[in-house]
Order: sequence, then structure tokens, then C-alpha cells
Amino acid sequence: MKALLAIARKDLLLRFSSRSEWLFFLILPLAFTAILGGGFNFGGDGDPRLPLFVVDEDGSGLSAALLADLGRSSTVQAHERSRAEAEAGVEDDEAAAALIVPAGFGASLAAGEQARIVLISAPGDIDVLAIGQAVRESAARVGVAVAAARVSREEAEARRPFSSPSERQVYFEEGLRLAQETADNTPQRLKVTSATQADRGLADYSQPAQASAGGIVTWVFIPLLGISALFAYERSGGTLRRLVTTPVARSTFLLGTIGGQSLTALAQIALLVVFAAAVFQVPWGRSPVALVVIMVTFVLSSAALGTALGALVRTEAQASGLSIMLGMVLSLLGGCWYPIELFPSAVQAAVHLLPTTWAMQAMTDITMRGQDLAQVLPEAGVLLGFAVAFFVLGVARFRYE
Amino acid sequence: MRKLWAIGRKDLIVLFRDRAALILMLAAPLALTVGLGLVTGGFSGGQTGLRDIPLVVVNLDQGPLGAGLTDLLQDDDLQSLLEPAFLDDPAEARRQVEEDAAAAAILIPQGFSAGVLPDAGGAVGPPAAIELIQNPGRPTGSAIVASIVSGYVLRLQAGEVGAQVVVSQLVASGRMLRQQIPVEAPAIGRRLAGNASNFSLIQIESDVAAAEAPASFNPLAYIAPAMALLFLMYTVGMGARSLLLEHEQGTLARLRASPTSESQVLGGKLFGTFLTGVAQLAILITATTLFFRLEWGSPLGLAALILAASAGATGWGAVLAAVTRSPSQVGSIGAALMLSFGILGGSFFSVELGPPLLQALARLTPNYWGLQGFTALASGGTLADLAGPIAVLWFMGLALFLAAVLVFRRRGAARG
Repeated sequence: MKALLAIARKDLLLRFSSRSEWLFFLILPLAFTAILGGGFNFGGDGDPRLPLFVVDEDGSGLSAALLADLGRSSTVQAHERSRAEAEAGVEDDEAAAALIVPAGFGASLAAGEQARIVLISAPGDIDVLAIGQAVRESAARVGVAVAAARVSREEAEARRPFSSPSERQVYFEEGLRLAQETADNTPQRLKVTSATQADRGLADYSQPAQASAGGIVTWVFIPLLGISALFAYERSGGTLRRLVTTPVARSTFLLGTIGGQSLTALAQIALLVVFAAAVFQVPWGRSPVALVVIMVTFVLSSAALGTALGALVRTEAQASGLSIMLGMVLSLLGGCWYPIELFPSAVQAAVHLLPTTWAMQAMTDITMRGQDLAQVLPEAGVLLGFAVAFFVLGVARFRYE
Repeated sequence: MRKLWAIGRKDLIVLFRDRAALILMLAAPLALTVGLGLVTGGFSGGQTGLRDIPLVVVNLDQGPLGAGLTDLLQDDDLQSLLEPAFLDDPAEARRQVEEDAAAAAILIPQGFSAGVLPDAGGAVGPPAAIELIQNPGRPTGSAIVASIVSGYVLRLQAGEVGAQVVVSQLVASGRMLRQQIPVEAPAIGRRLAGNASNFSLIQIESDVAAAEAPASFNPLAYIAPAMALLFLMYTVGMGARSLLLEHEQGTLARLRASPTSESQVLGGKLFGTFLTGVAQLAILITATTLFFRLEWGSPLGLAALILAASAGATGWGAVLAAVTRSPSQVGSIGAALMLSFGILGGSFFSVELGPPLLQALARLTPNYWGLQGFTALASGGTLADLAGPIAVLWFMGLALFLAAVLVFRRRGAARG
């Protein structure tokens, strides 16, 4: 036991001999979780909606109705601008898009004709998709009200013509007002809920939860793969060979190195979990047992992969490079940066060969779906399976020189 | 100049012979480009994995509206987007979403149609709502399903609202008798809901801000330079590490003993870093052009941008070498700088819509200006359009180089 502790202590001293290690251990993970989890709102106005510049060149009641509907959107935050300001703003990336309501918009609709609006977007900006959807929904709602008023006027005219154009116009405007009022009072026909344990009061998809889980996997996974560099360092310095002359068993050495790094990783996870729970109210604590089981199995599988990698690489530099590259690629493919639903279906199936995918899946189950130990046991089992397989490979291929 | 070239060339060769360094200089950016390309649909003409979205539907409604929705979900237009499965048990549907087997579940309750459509006597049943259960682990797929269902509900609302408006206005203006309502209202509602032109009264025209922008933007044209710039920072970190390693191993002192001035040694080392950066970007650009058929834009603009990006990044490498004390410190601070600049500079996502502080920090990174240039170039920009990013990158490189020289001199004076 003394030997184990001595080896673990030595590795920790080596790792934290440079103060810059704290950058990776805590500072960068916290900073990135804060930036990604906060939806980029630090120092902003606190509104998570996407800014959209709107230009009302029509000035009619119908253009105002469209902009008012957009103002109630949960996706976009509408800011009125002149056309020149809006165009310059999109080119300067102040907003991903600008909506122009041209002169004649209201007159066209009032005449029963189609009207057009123009959505100017920044090239290559993915936020444009969400903004476009919000604009389409508002346009459809206003269109429905206009259609109701228009059909109402046509029905009336077919039964008894209006005495004057102004009476016709008043009838239309009254119909439009009635349509908007009726739409507001229509019973709810669609109820959207989330597949979470409702009794636990969990929310649906949560960007802070995604950022926290993705951050934990990424920033804990990379240093654990770095165990390979520790082995390579000892091997290149000849200190591993020296161990043969001591009464320390190979298993004690491996256990000391891996155990020390794993405990450090668990401490790092604990700090990141507390941070996300305190700052972003990520519900990590709903099932503490499930959380502990998943984190321990994830750490074991990652440490085991680092051990296997350590048996395969030749130099410390090679190990460091491979750890960072594999860590980043496996985190990306495991869904830590973007949900894996965005991958083609063949890739979605293939990434189940990666421990990062199972770890992310389990963390999503805990934070977003509110699942407990029984429900995350399959993921824990797979992670444990990875741990056993990688450890067997690493120990079998382990060499002193 | 010959000495600068000789020192620079030597460093270039040493770094490109280091297989471990090549992993991060070339293999990692290419691997991440492929990964991100898969996410954004860069390899499939903009098609991401959002096809065949798994969906479960339980229709307990006996009327036409529930059937209308199930028909819509099986429509030919949605065939490649949705993969609906029809079940009888709402609990089973919920379970499938909870277990991540489906992106969403749609539960159409019994009496849904009766709550919207009046019966023969004109009576409408109690309102019932369709329930959409979304999978929080599949936010995009479930949002698409929500959008389709809410579109259907909007059509129903058009009929419902329209019928009420028409009828109440007709009655109020004396054009319809109250006893005609039960017969006429449903017919008017159906006409309104069934007329597709009612939902496209407002046409949305799309326009892309930059006049030169191509009709479609290949996401890889953003991802490939983003990853190349991310790992360019690794390369300049290696350059800084090489300088400190030479100092630690005593070869720097040996160089100083030769008829080579200190500024020539420092200049030569940084020139080597600059050359390595240029070679790295050139290789990555050639590889992505060959493997991914990526069009980078004007070759002249591309060459100018590669030189400028490498200069800007080398400036940061010089500062890194000046402020750190050992090769291992360069390793960890350099990697932290690489990741921070990558994230701030837009290598993983755009920070343009972020708060002012984040945007200001982004402008300190060569990644940001390099990406501005590469994106403008891929969007059809000319050399003139690149003048801003190129000027900033060269200014960044020279200013940081001067700052690094000052720090080196101060540290040299302190050592006596």
C-alpha cells in the first residue's frame, strides 16, 4: 500500500510540477464550460435569443403585426433598424440576418395578393436556419389572419356587395382584428413536453447540461490518455527498468500510476460538476449514485485506454501528440461538442465503438432525462467492458524498455 | 540573410522529421476536418445526419384530423426526412423516446377531431391537444418534428379561426342568419384549411449579404481552414519549444560563439517557425483540395493569406518563447494557447454573436483574422477583400515579434 501511494504521489508531483498544469486541470475546463454553457451571454444583455435586424419600409398595420409577432418569438430578438444599418450590420456580423418588409407589403395583402419580405443573411452562418424558421412561423401566423379576413370579405361581397371601397376596407380591417383576437383565444391544440422524468421537474434539452457533460468528457479524457506519456517518459529515462531491481511488482507500479491519475480525474470531475450545478443549475445531483457509477466507469475506461496507448507508443512526445489528437477526435465523435444526431446514420452507429459516446449518453440520461442508476447501468457496463479490454491489452503489451 | 535562411531551413527539416510532431501538425487537423465535415454535412452537399429521423406515433383519434396528421407524416415529401413508426400504446411510445430509440413521440388523443370539428348538430366536443414528447438528447430532430406538427396545427387553426371570423362578420352585417351557422361554418372552415395559398400569402425571399457569395456555401470551406489555423498554433508552440530546448542543451550558446549575432539567431529560429507554418498550411490546403475537392479561391490571395497567417501566429510563438522558462512550460502553455485561440477565434463555432468581450478577445487571435480571410476567399473574395485580414495579421506578427525581442533583451540584461 505504501508503494502504491508513493508511486501515485510521485506521478502527481510530476504532473503538477508546472503551474501551467492548472490551466488544463481547472482553468480552461471551467472557462469553456462557462462560455458554452452560458450560451455566449457573459457580458451580453442576458437574452439568449438570436438578434435579427428588422426594417419596416411599409409602415402599415400589417407590417406592424408581423413585427409584433416576431417580437414574441422565443428564437429571435428583433431590433428595428434602417435598411442601410441592417445591411451593414449583417455584413459586420452584428446579426446573422436582417428582415426587410418592403413598401407595399400591407397594400398587397389587403388587396388579397401575395406579399413578399426579404431575409438577408450572412453567408455560411448556421444561425440563419433557426432565424429563417422563426420568420416563417410568424409570416404563417400573420398570413392565416390575413387569409381569414380576406375570405371573410370575399364571402360578404359574394352575398351582398359593399356600398363603397371604404366600407370594403373597414370590413377587411375588422375581420383582421377579429382573426387576431380569435387566434389568441383558440384552445391549445399542441402540447410539447420532454421525455424527462416529469416528477423530478427536469427541463428539456439544456445547453448548459450539454456543455457541462461534453466539457467533463473532453477535459478529463485527454489527461487520462496522457498516462501513455507518463509511461513513455519513465521508459525513455530508464526508470522503469530500474524498478525491476526493486521489490515492487509490475502490477503495483501500474496500479499506483493509474490509480493516482484516476483519483485526480475524479477530483477534477467533482469540481466541474459542482461548478456546473452551482452556476448553471445543471441537475447533476438528481441521482448521486448513478453519477458516481458513471464517472468511475468512465474514468476507468479512459485510464485503461491511456495504459494501452502507453504500451504502444515509443516516445513521450508521440504519446502527448496522440493523446491530444485522439482526445479531441473521440470527444467530437462521441457527441461532446455537438449531439450525435447530426452525424449520418452509419456514423451514428459506428461511434458506439467509442467510450466517449457511452459516457456522453449516460451523462445526458442523468442530466436531461433524469434517469437513475438502474437506467444507466447498461452504459456503465459497456464502459467497464472497455476498461477491462484496454487494461488487458495495456498490461499484456507493457514493457520496461 | 543566408544565416537566417540556414537556421530557418534546419528547423523546418528537424520539425518535419519528427513523426510525433507530424501527428499534430497534419494528421490531427485532417482528422478533425473529417469529423466536423460529417457533422455539418460537408461531405454530402449540406446533408447532415438529419435524415430518417426516428419517430413514434400513437393515433387514438377516430376522426379525420388524426388521420390527416398520420397521412402528412407519411407524405412522399417527408419520406427521406422522417421514419415514423405507428404504435397503439402511449406508454410504449414514451418509453422509446426515453430510451433514445426515437427523436419524438406524437400522441393524438381520443376526441381530437371532435374537439375541433362541430358535429351534425353544430356542437363541438371538449378541446383536446396533441402531445408531442421531445427527446432532449436529439434537440434538432425533435425540433424538426415539432415544426411539422405545429405547421399542421396552424392549418387547423386557420380553418377554425377563419370559420369563426367569416361567420361572425356575416351574421353581424346581416348577410347570414344564425340558423345557417351549423351548415355553413364547417364548409367555410374546410375551404380555408384546404387552401394551401392561405399559408403562403407572405413569401420570404432569401438574399445572402455578400454580393460575391456563391449560392451554396460548403461548410468544409470554413472547417478546413479553421482546423489548419488551430494546429498552426501548435506548430508555432513547437518553434518556441525548439528555441528553449537549444538554450537548455547549450546549442544556443554554441551558436552565439560563432560569428552570428543574437538577433540573427533569434530571427533565424523564428524564420524557421514561420517557414514551418507556411509549409504546414500549404500541405493541409493541398490535401483538402485533393481529398475533399475544396475550392479555396484565388491562388494569389491564398498565397498571401498563408504567409500572413503564418506571420501572425509566429508572432505569438515569439512571445511564448520570450515569456516561458522551460520546454515543458512551453508545451503546456502552448497547448492551452492553441485551444483557447481555437475556441475564441472561431475554429469550433462562430463567436460573432457573442458578447462584446468575447468578440474583442477573438480579434487578438490569428485564427480569427485568418478565418475571416479564408472565408472571404472561399466566398469569391479578391485580393482587395483580403487586405484587412492580411494587414492585421502582418501587423500582429511584427508587433508581437518586437515585444518578444524586448522581453528577451530584458531577460538577457537581468541575467547579466
